[in-house]
Amino acid sequence: MSCEGVLSHLSRLEVQARSRKTQPQQRSRVTELKAAAEQLRMQREQLRGGGGDAQGGYDAIETRQGQGLCLSLPTAYDGVFLETYNLEIDVKPTPRIVRHNIPPFIPLSDLVEQSDMQTDLRTFLDTLSQHLNAFSGRKQQLKLLKELHKSVEVMESNALCSILVMMVTVPKEKTAVLCTLDYTDHTRCLPTRVHFECNGKLLADSPDWDKIRSLLLETPVHKALSDIRTMGNIV
Amino acid sequence: MDDSARRLLQRLIRRIPAQMLKTTLEKWGRLTAAQKQSMDFTEPKWAFTERLLDICEENGWTGKHITELEMTYVIDNPNQGMWYAFQLMDPEDDARSVELTHFKEQFKSHLSELARPVSVKIKKHADDAIWIRIAWGDSFSRPNHLKPTYVVHHLQTPYVFVTSLTSKQKPFLSQALVLSTRHQAIKDASLSGRKLGAIRDLLMRQYQQVFPTSYPSPLAERNETVSNPQIEKEQAKSAENRLQMACEAFGDGMLPQLQSSVYKLETKFKDHTNKTMTEREEPFRCVVKFASTNLLESLRHCAASGIASTPVTPLLSSIPLKGRNYFVIKDNGPGPSSQTRQTQN
Repeated sequence: MSCEGVLSHLSRLEVQARSRKTQPQQRSRVTELKAAAEQLRMQREQLRGGGGDAQGGYDAIETRQGQGLCLSLPTAYDGVFLETYNLEIDVKPTPRIVRHNIPPFIPLSDLVEQSDMQTDLRTFLDTLSQHLNAFSGRKQQLKLLKELHKSVEVMESNALCSILVMMVTVPKEKTAVLCTLDYTDHTRCLPTRVHFECNGKLLADSPDWDKIRSLLLETPVHKALSDIRTMGNIV
Repeated sequence: MDDSARRLLQRLIRRIPAQMLKTTLEKWGRLTAAQKQSMDFTEPKWAFTERLLDICEENGWTGKHITELEMTYVIDNPNQGMWYAFQLMDPEDDARSVELTHFKEQFKSHLSELARPVSVKIKKHADDAIWIRIAWGDSFSRPNHLKPTYVVHHLQTPYVFVTSLTSKQKPFLSQALVLSTRHQAIKDASLSGRKLGAIRDLLMRQYQQVFPTSYPSPLAERNETVSNPQIEKEQAKSAENRLQMACEAFGDGMLPQLQSSVYKLETKFKDHTNKTMTEREEPFRCVVKFASTNLLESLRHCAASGIASTPVTPLLSSIPLKGRNYFVIKDNGPGPSSQTRQTQN
């Protein structure tokens, strides 16, 4: 600006210097925030490093002029890509989730409480991803079960897919048996407990049912049922 | 069948639209093929009701069967009356493992203890929704089946949806829900609407939310209409930005259909030209209501077309973000310099 003289420039510098003097107490806060920002930037670089494959990288991108971080959590089961979930995190003053599309039966607030998003965002995301992938996997198994095994009736399931009660028919006696699968570990796709009921009573142990039980505990339910069918134990 | 059951059936048939009678009776599944054949769905409703009453007498059915028919109809046609959302708070450790049979037993037993006499019917729908029908009585009368309350809940979620509940009945229902779902409290979620599916989808986040991604915006791609390359849209970039911000605030595609959003203002009047009002000590109480057949769609369009400024104000984007459509806004802080708007839970 050629019309501005040296004097006006000097007075501006003077104002700047004066204002700097009156902000000493803010400096420590500024240093604090700068340190936090640096930490988050490092974590963001870590997250970006994976490049979007299953190993790492949650497709982190910055939003709102660096104030926010948006993450993508894809889920997959058996080689099929399923739902992708998203989180938007506000980084200042402390990291907190402002927006997400994670279903309410996933214990998001519990996971946030149990982890330190400021120092170890990666662990939080990994645990959340575990829950989401397991849920997607269980949900997919239920869908395939319904599609592939029309002779098996699903008596009870829930939104979290943590319980599955099915009715199967034994060919010899033509009796109906209720199979209950409890998925108490929500980070896994396989059940933790399987039990059978016939006519309101728990079935006694027998080698046949033990075999079926171990199949259901170790193999995804839709595959286990195919195997059990082939063995001839159910219709 | 006693008088009250007859009256209930008459009321129900009057309520069900003629074109839905056949499907509702099919879904109910209690009529035999022969009985279904004998029904004439073209005759006037009063005659139809008489015929149905005869069949009920033949089969020895009671009020219980009629309430079952009513529930079948309501589950398929829930969008009558206002639904209100509630949120369960502070789950106990075993809240996540509450399963259906346990919940049903506990709810029935707790509610009967709290609000005797009461008639409770619980049905699990295919989509994991638990439907509860409650007919309330009191010390002088049997349960009134003409004014039932309906409750919908999905286990392992904190949300409960209720219709036709009076303030007297509310504490009993609240307590029974809290105990049977293993939580410590329940609160009003400040969300209501005529469409059950809409408020449920909003809270369960079952609509297409838009998040910023590093990939090119699918919205921009979709909006690229094939046009004459010699025509240049001057403001294409800002229109695109507005659309992106509108979709980030409200969502993409079909949005849950809300009918209104209410803002109860308890803020001080601010207008320099009106000293009398500005000098008043008490806040200027005022209620602002936005109403539409599809409120979120309208608001998104307002933002995308530039009628509402972007980035979208939190007052509007809080509706889908917080899943509520009732807000109380108060001033915060003492003097005019620190006056900020604050939304109250």
